[in-house]
Amino acid sequence: MNQEGPPLEQLTRRLSETPAPFLAEPRVGKQGSVHVTALVADVLRAFGGSGDVDALKRFEMNDRAKERNPRMLTQILCWLLMDPALRGKIPANELLRLLFEEANALAEKVAAKEFVDSDERREELSRMALRSAGMRPAGESKNVAEDRWLAVSSRERTRLAAASRAAEERARAIREALERKAAEESADKWSRE
Amino acid sequence: MVAGVSAVMELPDDAQRYPGLTPAGEQMLRFLREHPHAPIYRNASGHRLLPEELPQVLAFADAVRDASVDPRADLGQSWLRDYVGNAMRRVPHYRRYGSAPEQIADLPTVRRGDLARDVAAFVPDDQPLERLINFRTTGLTGQPLLIASHPQVAARYLAFHERALRRFGIELSSGPGDVGVMLVGWQQRCFTYVSVTPQRGECGLAKINLHEDDWRDAADRGPYIDALKPEVITGDPLSLAALLAIDFAHRPRAILSTSMTLLDGLRTALQARFDCPVLDVYSLNEAGPIAVFDPAVDAHVLLQPQMAIEILDGDGEPVSLGERGEITLTGGFNFCLPLLRYRTGDHAALELRDGEWVLAGLAGRAPVRFRTSGGDWINNIDVTHALKPFALPQYALLQAADGSLQFDVHGNHGAEIGAVEAALRAVLGAQSTLKIATHAEPCDKVVQYRSELPEGDQSLAAVAR
Repeated sequence: MNQEGPPLEQLTRRLSETPAPFLAEPRVGKQGSVHVTALVADVLRAFGGSGDVDALKRFEMNDRAKERNPRMLTQILCWLLMDPALRGKIPANELLRLLFEEANALAEKVAAKEFVDSDERREELSRMALRSAGMRPAGESKNVAEDRWLAVSSRERTRLAAASRAAEERARAIREALERKAAEESADKWSRE
Repeated sequence: MVAGVSAVMELPDDAQRYPGLTPAGEQMLRFLREHPHAPIYRNASGHRLLPEELPQVLAFADAVRDASVDPRADLGQSWLRDYVGNAMRRVPHYRRYGSAPEQIADLPTVRRGDLARDVAAFVPDDQPLERLINFRTTGLTGQPLLIASHPQVAARYLAFHERALRRFGIELSSGPGDVGVMLVGWQQRCFTYVSVTPQRGECGLAKINLHEDDWRDAADRGPYIDALKPEVITGDPLSLAALLAIDFAHRPRAILSTSMTLLDGLRTALQARFDCPVLDVYSLNEAGPIAVFDPAVDAHVLLQPQMAIEILDGDGEPVSLGERGEITLTGGFNFCLPLLRYRTGDHAALELRDGEWVLAGLAGRAPVRFRTSGGDWINNIDVTHALKPFALPQYALLQAADGSLQFDVHGNHGAEIGAVEAALRAVLGAQSTLKIATHAEPCDKVVQYRSELPEGDQSLAAVAR
């Protein structure tokens, strides 16, 4: 946060203009077109690093149900991080953390495409990338940048935590409703399977 | 004790089972229950449809009546694009997939095991829970599954039955004072009850068990059926075979067979006895009636206008039109349980025949291969074909690890076992070690084809994936 970086709008605009290939389906089996591992390797090279094979292996998809959304966010992050203002400014370890752990955490409850379509999510991702590069948006003091980052990220965390509690409560209510004696008595169908 | 009391208090009463019941409906229920030849009804249930829901159910049936069916899983179809988008927004399990895809094949598939593990994750966020009901099934794998449903969903089944019947020239006519349907079972334990169907003027519905234990006198069965004169009789092949053994004069206008493969021999026997169309309906608890067999096209004709079907190979990849693979469903009419790429475990080819979309060569469960005495492999479909001439209601073929074969026939069958053995040996090889056993008693769940040879059981290979 010590260095002043590019204007925030430069990064949020870049996100809103994410090219279609970065939003395409990650490859798993015969489906999808984006080889995420190759994409990450390209980004690492552009930053002057060379991710070792083990580090890159994590990006290979095995379970489409669980990994489709996080890897789509990895693709979006790859596009964002290739902004000239960020290129070469993030160490390889931090880069991999952003592209894997952070992508996994953020994509757990939010569709990856939201980070392209929603103003607030674009801001969150842009500020996160700047922080990883040790930068703050141009025109913002360190304190202001920190406050705004906390506001945008904690607001989202609070919302997600509440959504998560509500989802658990809802699942419990559904299970109870289905197990009630009345539910078990069912209703008429003209044929049974 | 307290738990017991609360469980009793949760049971619905007749006002909840039959909302808006008219005096005529009440009279029908009494007739069904109190007839001198009536069976011992062991359970209670009802349509549970609220009077204000009836117009919606009727409107649904109207829409289904003549709607065209195009099952291609192409997101260019606006209903399918909306359905997928909706499910991915409102259903917790699908929401974690992220954004809607360009093509449906980019989405993960779902299996029965996913539903069994946590069905709550498949119920939409905005679905009210007060009127949720369940259908419980163990399926052929024995894996218990609770299906979330709703009285309106159960009532919608009739729309697809009517569509299927119309193919065979049957327009239902049952109304007030008639019995519309008799669901027959033949099991040692069976859920039995009486109800009325509000869509058809509260005509009667009787779900009975033909097993002797459920009757004060087994000789009551024929007279009871003759007294009720149901317009339609539905049941699985096993129960329908049991029906053949009962003496009664009534001729229903149609018979619907569900749940298991209906062999041609049994279909012919039922048609000969009752002189009415016998429909083989492919129906799943998870998705309702999907298709009906039509001999004119020698395939199961699809029934649901809003059900996309993909056929997948063993790796879960879509195959070309006309190729066999696993039937995989997206869509359906159960708004409590939207399905996105649900792998049924059943196999067929999707084809266009005479301008209609059909499932050709439908075979329940994953294919199983049997090794012949000559060392060749044959598909379970070959065995089904060989057994076609016989009226076997329920059977199972097992190949043991040493290659020997055990064939079990359950229930009432008129077949000459020597002829069955000859037909089996014709496909499995004359030198096969083959034991045949017949069982008078039905078996609740039969896995029709199994192999303990590692190369034989393709279904286990599929599960392992």
